[in-house]
Amino acid sequence: MSAACNLEGCTVADTQRCALEKDPATCPNRVTAVRLMQGGAGERPSTSDRADLGAPVLDAPAENPAFPRSTTLGTAAIDDMMSGKYVTVVGILGYPESGKTACLASLYLLASNDRLTGWSFADSYSLMAFEEISRGARRWNGGELPDQMTVHTEMADDRQPGFLHLRLRREADGRCIDLALPDLPGEWTKDLVATSRADRFEFLKAADVLWVVVDGRTLQKVDLRQGLITRLGQLAGRLRVMLGDSLPRLLLAITHRDHIEIPAPILERIRAELWKHEVVATVIPVAPFSDHDNFKPGFGLVDLINESAEQQLRTSQFWPVTEPEENERAYLAHRRSQ
Amino acid sequence: MTRRSVVLLGGPDSGKTNFMGRLWSALDARKGALVAVGQPDDIRFVLDTADHLFQGHFAPRTEVKDGRRDFEITVAPFAGGAEADIVIPDVHGEMWRNVVVSSEIPAEWMNELQSADGALLFVRVGSDLNVRPLDWVVSRALLQKVGSEEDQAKLPTQVMLCEMLRFLELSLKMRPDGTSPRLSLVVAAWDAVDAGKFAQGPVAYIKREYPMLAGKLADMQTLDVKVFGLSIVGGDLTTDAAFRAEYLEAGMDGHGWIATQDANGEWQKNPDLTLPVAWVVGF
Repeated sequence: MSAACNLEGCTVADTQRCALEKDPATCPNRVTAVRLMQGGAGERPSTSDRADLGAPVLDAPAENPAFPRSTTLGTAAIDDMMSGKYVTVVGILGYPESGKTACLASLYLLASNDRLTGWSFADSYSLMAFEEISRGARRWNGGELPDQMTVHTEMADDRQPGFLHLRLRREADGRCIDLALPDLPGEWTKDLVATSRADRFEFLKAADVLWVVVDGRTLQKVDLRQGLITRLGQLAGRLRVMLGDSLPRLLLAITHRDHIEIPAPILERIRAELWKHEVVATVIPVAPFSDHDNFKPGFGLVDLINESAEQQLRTSQFWPVTEPEENERAYLAHRRSQ
Repeated sequence: MTRRSVVLLGGPDSGKTNFMGRLWSALDARKGALVAVGQPDDIRFVLDTADHLFQGHFAPRTEVKDGRRDFEITVAPFAGGAEADIVIPDVHGEMWRNVVVSSEIPAEWMNELQSADGALLFVRVGSDLNVRPLDWVVSRALLQKVGSEEDQAKLPTQVMLCEMLRFLELSLKMRPDGTSPRLSLVVAAWDAVDAGKFAQGPVAYIKREYPMLAGKLADMQTLDVKVFGLSIVGGDLTTDAAFRAEYLEAGMDGHGWIATQDANGEWQKNPDLTLPVAWVVGF
């Protein structure tokens, strides 16, 4: 039992003497304090009751059971998923504010409105994460379009990528494709190029396709263009070193197609820069959000999906027919050579 | 006697409570696939709800303060045979919305889901609380004018429904015969659609209004899903004065129907309002 008293200035706990000259065992100030500390049990317990001293003062709040949240998935969750079905892992790279998250948000909004031509939404294990990144597109500044449609990506874990899962069904044949799309901060790409920090990109070794997102507005500016093209070349070099001969297909998504059409000579310079590291890219102009009537928001994203899915969904002949040729019958040739 | 539990899910204003009031009346009429055996001990909840319908009004939205209300009744197939006690708990749709937002569910409801034999998921045609997904393709100019802080925080209805389906996939157990748990997806206020949309059926409606939900339903592996259209009284008591007068005069019996697909794939009105529950209970 505590010796404390709730009368200000009373030192009964130290001196065993009540400031009001009362019996400490019956003084109402002290007894009330003790009752409060014991949750109302007014009786003075024996010394043996002190055994619970140090125990939590309050009961732990009852926690409700919870379902697994459909937020971004870690690499372990993607591994689990890959053990059961084929998952197309997309490596998405690009400098800060190049439009990576905008592409993901736009892709989700197209799917959620059934406007992804040739494809329809089938499922997602990270629906709430998609909702979160697309919510930026719901924020309007007093009736004006925001400069940036999505918020800047920040990672809770600076070493592990977070993936968004999206299963799409191809309308032509009803086949589904599971996409694992990482939403990474642009700083990761910046660090990869500048300081060769590749540990966070280990997952790229399992990637089926790479999207390198480039801000079309930067390519248009004559004073910034050369720097960007050089950095793209350096990124290609890093990827070639990291992935070697297993470098997957690279798609170069150039944003802001609604504002800018990149001239062919500039695209040629980009290709030449990439080829210095023996990297080839397919250029896909995109406009995740659009201000112009000629380009619908989400322009080009279906091309990204088509190109990404092409390899997986390419129809292969399970048992190809081969016509036997007279001189190539291996068994007979074997006997003849004896 | 076996005990069967059927869970009712749906967002706010999706028609769950009105269906409960009408279902009791349909079971009590003993003309459908599922019939009441005897009279339940406690019919306060369904009687109160049905009272609104008797008076020619739809029951108002369930309030948060109303808490959980269970409807327990012993039922049997029309042809007789096995009897079962079914328990259908009703709770305000706001609770389900909160579960989706937080992924946390009160322990009693988790137990209810894990012990349920199936579920009924409700959506309602023309609900004021339906939140459409952001569609900046056709409504960008409109969004610029009306986009408010409150609107931005709303969760689209189809996302909420997809998450509810995910919760059901995670929690419902296999049926005693080893088959997948059953889900009746009920599109309420189906009398509000025109003849063309009625002919296309509620599945086409879901594909048009909630493309993500339609996609998820088509991809569903773990639940056996059947879609129904529902009109609890066969018309609109709120805006159609002539229908309301006729309904009040004739009484509730004979009013209301379920839209089901026949063998030819055509959608028909079936007066048996117990069908969504009968299919889930699956005698």
